[in-house]
Amino acid sequence: MFDYTFQWKQALARLPKMLDGAVITMEVAIISMLLGILFAILLTMFRQTKSRPLNAIATTWIEIARNTPALFQIYMAHFGVASFGIHFSPFTSLLIGITFNNAGYLAENFRGALKAIPDTQARAGQSLGMSPVQSFRYIVLPQMLRISFLPMTNQMVWAILMTSLGVTVGMNSDLYGVTQDLNALTFRTFELFAIAGVIFYIITKVITLSARLIAARLFRY
Amino acid sequence: MKKYTLTALLLAAAGFAGTAAQADKLDDIISSGKLRCAVVLDFPPMGMRDENNEPIGFDVDYCNDLAAALGVEAEIVETPFPERIPALMSNRVDVGVASTSDTLERAKTVGFSIPYFAFEMVVTAAEGTDITSFESMKGHTVGAVAGTYEAIALEEYVNEWGDGSEFRPYQTQADVFLALAQGQLDATVSTSTVAQANVKSGNFGGIEVVASAPFDIDYVGLFAKRDEYGFLNYLDLFVNQQIRTGRYDELYEKWVGGDVPSLTVPGAYR
Repeated sequence: MFDYTFQWKQALARLPKMLDGAVITMEVAIISMLLGILFAILLTMFRQTKSRPLNAIATTWIEIARNTPALFQIYMAHFGVASFGIHFSPFTSLLIGITFNNAGYLAENFRGALKAIPDTQARAGQSLGMSPVQSFRYIVLPQMLRISFLPMTNQMVWAILMTSLGVTVGMNSDLYGVTQDLNALTFRTFELFAIAGVIFYIITKVITLSARLIAARLFRY
Repeated sequence: MKKYTLTALLLAAAGFAGTAAQADKLDDIISSGKLRCAVVLDFPPMGMRDENNEPIGFDVDYCNDLAAALGVEAEIVETPFPERIPALMSNRVDVGVASTSDTLERAKTVGFSIPYFAFEMVVTAAEGTDITSFESMKGHTVGAVAGTYEAIALEEYVNEWGDGSEFRPYQTQADVFLALAQGQLDATVSTSTVAQANVKSGNFGGIEVVASAPFDIDYVGLFAKRDEYGFLNYLDLFVNQQIRTGRYDELYEKWVGGDVPSLTVPGAYR
C-alpha cells in the first residue's frame, strides 16, 4: 500500500535550513503574541466602556477574528489590502494576520477572566480614591492576566501552528515555507514534512511546559 | 490424508497469492480498468477547467490518450504542484501527467518517462517598472509558483543577485499573476504558454511579457513510482508513439499553437 523507501540522510542534511526556519516561525509567533496581548487588552477596555463606536470596533474585530478561518485573515492581510494599494511583505502580512487572530481570541479569554473578578473590587479601589483607569490597571488587570495565563499559552501554541499558513502569501523563510521549498527541490516529501512535524511538536511542547513552570513560580500564593 | 490435502490447498493458495503480489503497476491498472492521473488544473493551457468546471487542457488530453492506449478509463485527480508526489506515494494516483520537470534531484525519488513536452521560460513584468530583460529584474521583488522548475531557478538567481532582490513563491499561478497585477511583485518568470494565456485572459491588467529567461529548456516527463519498470517502459513507448503518430503535434496545435518544440537533445541518446 505505502511502498516508499525513506531516505532520512537526504532530508536530515537539510536540517540546519529547517532550524533557521524554526527561528523565524518562533519570531513571528512571539511578536504576534506580544502585539496580540496589547490589542486584546485594548479591545477588552473598549468593550468595558459605554462608548458606542469603541464597542462596535471591538465587537467587529472579535467577531471576524473568531468566526473566520485564520487562512482567510492572513490572505486578506496580503491580497485583500493590496487591492486598496497597500502592500505588505509576506512576513508583515503573516504577522498582521496572526496578530489579528490572537487579539480576537485573547480578548474573549480576557472577558471570561474579567467575569471571574467581582465588580466590588474595582469599586472598592475607587472608594479608596483611585480613578477607574487606576483601579483597572492596579487591581483588575493583574488578576485578569493571571486567570487567563494558561489560555494564553494555548493561543501561543496556536500562533506557532498558524505560521504554517504563511506559504499562501508567499512566505518561504518560516519552518513550513522552508520545508515546502526543500520538498520542491528534492521531492522527499514524507521525510521533510515528518521532520518539520517533529520540530513543530518540540517547539509547542517546550512552550507549554515552560509556561506551566512559569505559572507555578509566578502565581503561587 | 486429510492433513495432506489441507497442506496442499494452503500451499496452492499461497502460490496464487504469491503471483498476485508480483503483479506490477501495469497489471494493476489494466485489471482495475482505471488509470488515475495527477494533473495540475491551475496551469493553463496544460491543465485548467472549462465553464462547466470540467478539467481540460493538454495534460488532460494526454491522460485520456494514455488511458485509451491501455484500454482503461481515465480519472483526472487534481493535484496542486506541491502535492504531486504525496499523491503518487500514497497511491491516490498511478501516474503524473502534471508538467513535471525531470531534474536529477527529483529523479532520485520518482521515475520519469522520456520528455513529453518542453517549456520555454519568459519574464512577465508589471507595466511601469523598468524591467525589460531578465537581468533587469535584479533589485526587484519577483515571484513564481512554489515548487516549479522556474521557481527553483529564479530563487537561485535572486540569492546570487542580492542587494534588494527578493523572491516570493506563491501557491498558485493565479496568486502570482494577482500579486503582479496588484504591484506586490514587479515581475515573474513562468512558462511562455502560461504567460501568454494569462496576459490574453484580461483577468490581470497592466502586465506584459517582456523577455525570455535564460534558463535551460524545461523538459517535462510523465512520472510514476521509481521501481515500476514495466510501467515506466510503457510510458516511454507511449510518449514515443504520441510523437510518431503526429498526436503530439495535433495536441500542441490544439492547446498552444505555433512552432512545436523538439523533445530531443541534439547529440544525446534518450
